[in-house]
Amino acid sequence: MLDLLVIGAGLSGMIAASAAARAGLNVRVIAKGLGALHWGAGTIDVLGYLPGEANGVQRPLQKLEPLASNWPDHPYAFLGSGAVAKALADFQELTVEIGLPYAGDENDDNMLLPSPVGATRPVFLAPAAQRAGDLRRSEPMLVVGFDGLRDFYPHLIAENLCKQGHAARALSLPLDLITSRRDYNTVHLAQALDSSEVRPRLADEIGKRVRSGERVGLPAILGLNDHAVAFAGLANRIGLPLFEIPTLPPSVPGIRLFNALRRHLDQLGVRVEIGMEAIAFDSTSTFNLQSLTSVQTATSARPLRHRARVFLLATGGILGGGIATDHTGKSWETIFDLPLTIPNDRAQWFRPLALDPAGHPVFRGGVCIDGRMQPLGDDGQPIYDNLWAAGGILTGADAIRERSREGIDIATGRAAAQGIIAYLQT
Amino acid sequence: MHTTSWLSVGPSLDECIKCNICTSACPVGAVTDLFPGPKYAGPQAQRFRENGQPASPDQSVDYCSGCRVCNEVCPTGVKIAELNARARAQMAAECGIPLRNRLLGRNELLGKIGSLAPSLANFGLHNAASRVLAEKVMGIARNAPLPRWSASGTFGDWMQRTTGRRLQSTKKVVYFHGCATMHYEPFIGQAAVAVLEHNGYEVIVPPQNCCGLPLLSNGEFKAARSYHEGNVRKLSDGVRAGYDIVGTSTSCTLTLKEEAPELLDMHGEDAEGLKMAVWDIFEWLRERYESGELRTDFRRMDIVLPYHAPCQYRAHRVGRPALEILRLIPGMDVPESHARCCGIAGTYGYKVEKYQIAMDVGAELFDFVREEARSHAAGVRMTACDSETCRWQLEHGTGLPSRHPIEVLAAAYGLYDLHERRLIER
Repeated sequence: MLDLLVIGAGLSGMIAASAAARAGLNVRVIAKGLGALHWGAGTIDVLGYLPGEANGVQRPLQKLEPLASNWPDHPYAFLGSGAVAKALADFQELTVEIGLPYAGDENDDNMLLPSPVGATRPVFLAPAAQRAGDLRRSEPMLVVGFDGLRDFYPHLIAENLCKQGHAARALSLPLDLITSRRDYNTVHLAQALDSSEVRPRLADEIGKRVRSGERVGLPAILGLNDHAVAFAGLANRIGLPLFEIPTLPPSVPGIRLFNALRRHLDQLGVRVEIGMEAIAFDSTSTFNLQSLTSVQTATSARPLRHRARVFLLATGGILGGGIATDHTGKSWETIFDLPLTIPNDRAQWFRPLALDPAGHPVFRGGVCIDGRMQPLGDDGQPIYDNLWAAGGILTGADAIRERSREGIDIATGRAAAQGIIAYLQT
Repeated sequence: MHTTSWLSVGPSLDECIKCNICTSACPVGAVTDLFPGPKYAGPQAQRFRENGQPASPDQSVDYCSGCRVCNEVCPTGVKIAELNARARAQMAAECGIPLRNRLLGRNELLGKIGSLAPSLANFGLHNAASRVLAEKVMGIARNAPLPRWSASGTFGDWMQRTTGRRLQSTKKVVYFHGCATMHYEPFIGQAAVAVLEHNGYEVIVPPQNCCGLPLLSNGEFKAARSYHEGNVRKLSDGVRAGYDIVGTSTSCTLTLKEEAPELLDMHGEDAEGLKMAVWDIFEWLRERYESGELRTDFRRMDIVLPYHAPCQYRAHRVGRPALEILRLIPGMDVPESHARCCGIAGTYGYKVEKYQIAMDVGAELFDFVREEARSHAAGVRMTACDSETCRWQLEHGTGLPSRHPIEVLAAAYGLYDLHERRLIER
């Protein structure tokens, strides 16, 4: 029998699976589909903005305690800043081990990296390929795009960067430098740049157009399976600092992180089963104690039962599929029907202004947990003695507004794994 | 409370959030411009096919191979492959079906005709001149790995010949052999019967039809319906008696369980009964193993056996039961392929305009086998795969023999000669 079944193959689920498997547990990860990491920028955002404050956060780890005192049900409040810092340090170490090293600012300040519209993203840890885009640096930027590449417009990016006081100019190159395909997306282009025959053509073309002292920004397509070699090869040949700007989904930096974590779990003997949707569960009850015995997933016929000693709910929020809603204002947690903090009245979901700095109540909604990361029922007690939760399904954070998505995922994933390991030892 | 899994095919398209994960994962779109990817050919084009609009926006959906990788990775549960299959049927109804596709859809008929005089049929089909002719006249690729009719009689002949020697038992199981085992590879059925009997089960083989998949994937829904109705009728005795129905052809079992009822809207009591009675043979053996009933008196087999779970197997969403069981055999090293698809996709790779696409898709798998051969000192002498056309493609692409896992299991029980592909008579 499994020790731990993780439901959800996003960042929190995979981090928890890794920590649990390293502690010797027999772990399986199941997920309805790919997601989460494929939609993100592949960076680790910890805290970019405090709720209600317009100015960005400079040093996120120092702002966790003020955040916790104002928002006591925020996931960071349960963990404390020490545990968050340790989780991030562990993650950084893990990325080195799996061949996709992440790093941050030497003072633990947020870096400011460009978004695909030329806005700034406060980022705590970034893969090597994104770091030279830090807007706190002063070298002027050459933003390179490709004619016909959907969803990446170098002129828009450069114009917006200039408006914010960053020197930038744009260049659009013909796409046949990379591919002769008529139809492609960013993943296909990244695969084409895995080829060492294609890269010099691109590098030389950029080399002809770039001015000395500039740094070069490109859409995040610099290799998929052979990314480290592709990035280093291009940077060396161009001879100037090079950085990737993440694109709209599918996001190649996110896919690289997913693939690296999946390979890592594979090596630990953890199966990551994609295409398995949890649709039901079984539980037993002795006295007042309810325990889960299995989770059922849909197959081509009868449901498949996954029996385990402990279960981790890491299915994400509304976008991830952990929470479903309907037009009447009803919302529900999709597997165990756990109580949620989303208002029942749809009129209460949103404030009148779309960009209200206080955010919208619906985005803070989710599952309530106790200090051990176990979901609580309406009576404030854990509903099942062997169920944990982590990541986007938790209540208390407005992660997109705060820019805290990955920090919460990594820190709660690790904390849940620790809780589970301790539980199984007793 | 419902989840999208239970939605019928049509409404599932409203779940599409256009994230492009399917397009990034599609093995066909990755190698050809002729297929624009699942998102475009599926949910997007579907909007133009609905509400009585006569034609599909274009005919590119015909290049969907039906591998269902898109369904596997979709984070929101869109039934993309089924949307495509229905669109192809609509196209077939509007534009007609070429003779070649009508022939390729009729595996049962071809099997029966060839089995009348297998040597003659093999000579007639498998010579260079007739393959060139078949390509020029019919459009069947000259190098595609077509099967050979069994020269030693059909599986049905063997069952009849050995009636007296078959095990009688109170534990009974029904065997669905499929057309390929019946006419081309009777030894697969012999291995299955041997394994089932070794575990104390009497094997019942009632008359049965082709599962209808080749017709479904060539857009001939009407003819497929008559096959499925035939199977529902012919297998109903076994279903009513409460016997499990196990199959060795993973795409046949998938069709009986899910594809036929879903695409043909056959959800009556009998069709539903059949769906719930059908098991892939290793899915069923794994259940026996987990309940402690599977015999594990295996011989040691010191071989490296790269294993590919066909896309149609993964579409069952039951994990990797064959891999789990084969790994119980002492001495056996079973590296798992993570290739998306072998490319052949039933009859897809037989078509002259699609042959090269199928080979390009399969390259991922062929490379995996070569890599395994390089990295093991003892080398790789054969591969394993659950689906017949995938095995033929694997053999074609790697030059190595490929075996069904049931043959390997029968050999591990000492019942079967894995090289000669025949039962060891006692």
